[in-house]
Amino acid sequence: MRQIARHAAASIAAIAAIAGIAGALSGAAWGWGVLAAGLGALLLHHLSHLSRLARWLEAPAAGRVPEGTGSWSEVLTALHRYERAASAREAALADALVRFRRAAQALPDGVVILDAENRIEWCNTTAEMHLQLDGRADHGQPLANLVREPRFVEYLAAGEDAPPVRIERGAGRALTLQLIPYGRQQKLLLSRDTTQAERVETMRRDFVANVSHELRTPLTVLVGFLETVRELDLDAQRRRDYLDMMREQSSRMQRIIDDLLTLSVLESAPPPAAERVRVRPLLERLLADARALSGERHEVSLDGSPTLDLAGSEHELLGAFGNLVSNAIRYTPPGGKVQLLWRESAGGASFAVQDSGAGIAAEHIPRLTERFYRIDRGRSRDTGGTGLGLAIVKHALARHQATLHVESTPGAGSRFTVRFPAQRTLPLSKGAPATPPAASPPPPPATSRPGGRS
Amino acid sequence: MTEHASKQYDLDLDSIRSRVLQMGGLVESQIRRALEAFGSGERALIEQVIADDHRVNAMEVALDGDCSQVIVKRQPAAGDLRMIFAITKTVTDLERIGDEARKIARMSRSIHERGAQSVPLAVDVRHAAELAIAMLQRSLDAFARLDAEAAAEVIRADAGIDSEFRSILRQLITFMMEDPRTISTALDIVWIAKAVERIGDHAKNMAEYVIYIVKGTDVRHTSPEQLEA
Repeated sequence: MRQIARHAAASIAAIAAIAGIAGALSGAAWGWGVLAAGLGALLLHHLSHLSRLARWLEAPAAGRVPEGTGSWSEVLTALHRYERAASAREAALADALVRFRRAAQALPDGVVILDAENRIEWCNTTAEMHLQLDGRADHGQPLANLVREPRFVEYLAAGEDAPPVRIERGAGRALTLQLIPYGRQQKLLLSRDTTQAERVETMRRDFVANVSHELRTPLTVLVGFLETVRELDLDAQRRRDYLDMMREQSSRMQRIIDDLLTLSVLESAPPPAAERVRVRPLLERLLADARALSGERHEVSLDGSPTLDLAGSEHELLGAFGNLVSNAIRYTPPGGKVQLLWRESAGGASFAVQDSGAGIAAEHIPRLTERFYRIDRGRSRDTGGTGLGLAIVKHALARHQATLHVESTPGAGSRFTVRFPAQRTLPLSKGAPATPPAASPPPPPATSRPGGRS
Repeated sequence: MTEHASKQYDLDLDSIRSRVLQMGGLVESQIRRALEAFGSGERALIEQVIADDHRVNAMEVALDGDCSQVIVKRQPAAGDLRMIFAITKTVTDLERIGDEARKIARMSRSIHERGAQSVPLAVDVRHAAELAIAMLQRSLDAFARLDAEAAAEVIRADAGIDSEFRSILRQLITFMMEDPRTISTALDIVWIAKAVERIGDHAKNMAEYVIYIVKGTDVRHTSPEQLEA
């Protein structure tokens, strides 16, 4: 401050001195003239700086504070310093804000920040997706104007004590919304997509209900016959017939329980050791089993010559493939064709079973591997299926990173394809016998005997 | 919206707008539940939908009263007057949609009371209904955001529902000709499909009011092509 005063005093003094000298040399009129001109120039200097400063202040660009001369240089330098510090502070704040928003953005849940009137202040992209909001355009919009489900509007009005509310949004998506108060009257709305969790819960419930139902049916029959055999005086032939039927029902229950145990082992056991599974003998054995099961009623053939082996559990793979083959035989009417296919490519290898059976309608295909899913309730049970076969196949294959693909044309037949990724294939080892040893094969695993298609 | 000298005035208008949207939300859920009941035949849900229609009607009456209040007390002009006009019309359309939801519930009740008939058209009707619900949702969103472009899109979408309705009708006629026993159920389904088609029309009207609020032009009875101009 004092410097500016000194500066101003010095310039005025200099002008006065020059004017005094001019007055002394050329007369008083000249003296006054020079004084006026000097002061005018000083005023012009100030005004030009003032206007430059005003222009900068209209749109203060960082680091572009005008420079000045004379007493202005002090002021403008100070302003420049201040401006630099301020923009550094602002950048730090903006940076912190960006980091905070990025963190909120990265949350797997939707986040909406609401003000005291429940208007949208900010939301992350997950919330935009869940609630069909537009973070920019909807700023300041009351949330209830856009999320209008009556249940949610009531919840919003009831305040944060109410339990979280579940709404459905868009194509069957279930959302759970929860309000969390924070700060001064502000609220955080969390939205969680619970579609998947609900589906799992439904599946679990259905599974328990299905298991009970599947076991109760044969049990009812069994109990009925037991009563009959106990109460009535039957001749030997009748008695034997009834006992046979009872045995049939008990073995059915046993099969269901065996399959359930197999499933639970596949689900919980550690992945199988990657032993070499020789594909050629495996395919030949499947072909022989298929022919035996068909008993000349179908045209069964094998296509493809394996040059690769698989890494995995022979027991599980044989079980899975065997299930697909036996399904094809059982669901193809006599006279039809069943073909086993082996294909190799750069991306891996695939095993497929193609049949000329009745085919499967498209709406059933995604659900085939669900436990106890049946396309036709009566038929599958008649053929002795437990309803768990393909579920076991899917689990066994998943343990080998393999996938099951089903293509089917109703009336023309189905093709079940198992695809193995390249890392599950092994080049043929030298010296491996091309034909299976004549030794007796290992006992068939639980899954290789006829199981339900579904 | 522009700033008003009276803060209360803005609050009045905003709160009316919010309540129109809440009425829209209620109507949306009425349609959804009516369709769910149509699919499942759940008796309690059907009765619930029919009983809840009075809530929609009560909201219509209350909102109409509030609009008159604003007109009398504040004498709105220009944009605000258009807003009030559009709101009273929107409310009427919403109430009609509520009636359609009740109609769907009633027809579902009569279909399911008659016992299962093999007219497997529930899927097609549901598809058309999803389109109609989406239209309603989008026109309410456009109203909340005063988004004329989104509203114009809704108006164009109406043609899709109309053609969907005609194809349902054609299929139902085929069913009825093949098996006269399906006629009563098929007729009930025609009513449901018609209700769905009407919902689409009402949603379209509401989208037109949004354009009227934003642009001040009346786009009723103009073709979608003219809308582009």
